[in-house]
Amino acid sequence: MSIQNNSGVTVADVMLGLEICPVASERVIVKEVLESMDEHRLGVVCITDDEGKLSGILTEGDMRRVLLRVQKPLAALMADDVGMHAMASPKTTQPDTLLADAVTMMGNLRVWDLPVVDAENKLVGLLHLHQAIMGFMSR
Amino acid sequence: MTSKTIKLTSPHFNDIEIGAGKDLVLIAGPCAIETRDHSMRMAEMIGQVCDKLGVRWIFKACYDKDCRSSPASFHGLGLHEGLQILSDVRDAHGVPVTSDFSDPSWGAATGEVCDMVQVPAYLCRQTSMLRAAAETGKPIHLKKGQFMSPWNMKNSCRKLEAFGNDQILLTDRGTFFGYNMLVNDMRCFPIMQETGYPVCYDATHSIQLPTSMGNISGGQREYIPHLTRAAAACGIEALFMEVHDDPPNALSDANTVLDFKYFEVVLAQAKAMHEMRQELREKWGEDNVHPE
Repeated sequence: MSIQNNSGVTVADVMLGLEICPVASERVIVKEVLESMDEHRLGVVCITDDEGKLSGILTEGDMRRVLLRVQKPLAALMADDVGMHAMASPKTTQPDTLLADAVTMMGNLRVWDLPVVDAENKLVGLLHLHQAIMGFMSR
Repeated sequence: MTSKTIKLTSPHFNDIEIGAGKDLVLIAGPCAIETRDHSMRMAEMIGQVCDKLGVRWIFKACYDKDCRSSPASFHGLGLHEGLQILSDVRDAHGVPVTSDFSDPSWGAATGEVCDMVQVPAYLCRQTSMLRAAAETGKPIHLKKGQFMSPWNMKNSCRKLEAFGNDQILLTDRGTFFGYNMLVNDMRCFPIMQETGYPVCYDATHSIQLPTSMGNISGGQREYIPHLTRAAAACGIEALFMEVHDDPPNALSDANTVLDFKYFEVVLAQAKAMHEMRQELREKWGEDNVHPE
């Protein structure tokens, strides 16, 4: 999949700020992470370390696979640290990346969201497909 | 998972460490401080066996038994007299001492005397208790409530950490299985070890039949040896036992305390099982059967 880049729009122009994204440390329990995803109406949570660097993500798809795979009681799963189930080293994009390139990447990966990090891997936002499409439509 | 080692330090005794790869540490004594002489005698008797077996130990006896089922039951000598006796035991025998406390306002005084403070199982999730325990600055012996799942003990650990104390020993003392009955779920130990803190098995309260005798608790102490060996094989780092030289006349937990005449054989087997577990770990590595 590819999108013709004729807009000049970058990821920074349309990404969601951290204040409206689910973000958690590795030691937050699964139950609280799910609540945060629900509150923000997003299907992904970004996991960060003490310095705010991205260490992993957990998506609704990951959670679906966890539910199908893990045999422990649901109450025990809810009390797990999210770091136990998050995917380490997720694919990311950068704020100055052209939106067309980032959306092409999302299409190739078949994902709805991409964490946005700076040069030091510090989480700065989240690129969500809805906002990306609206970014194109508004130009 | 990083495994923490907790350390008891005092000029009165050589440091005691509890953690993975360390020797099994015993916490033992009569349930309650009955008299000064009795505490001294039990410390002498337990200490002799521990010296013989080469087991480091902590003397445990409580000054206030606040969870008795009956108002007629022995409640304890009280904070000041009890703590003085514990201090005397440590001075006389060079052994660290510990007691639980059941009211947050007793925490500071308990921590001033005791080398480790114990949070009772029934109070293991009470924020005010956990704050008081943490603020003593002493290692904390936190018992898993009989009503608690092992994975939820992480919440109490996180509270203690938030209050500035990460010297925690987690103990299983049985889990309610219907009314008046406890069982030991041996999965408790590896699950609680996931917190990163060392774990302990309470061999005598685990065989308790809570309030099974109307207004006091019964117990099936014939199973103490079996369950103790099983817990040691699971990889506990400490063992807790209440020991008495005259159980029928014990003033607290008469139906569960271990008669001193059985103490050596139970402890010797626990130590042997612990050492075997260490040898197996060295030979075969950590348990690594993947859950999925």
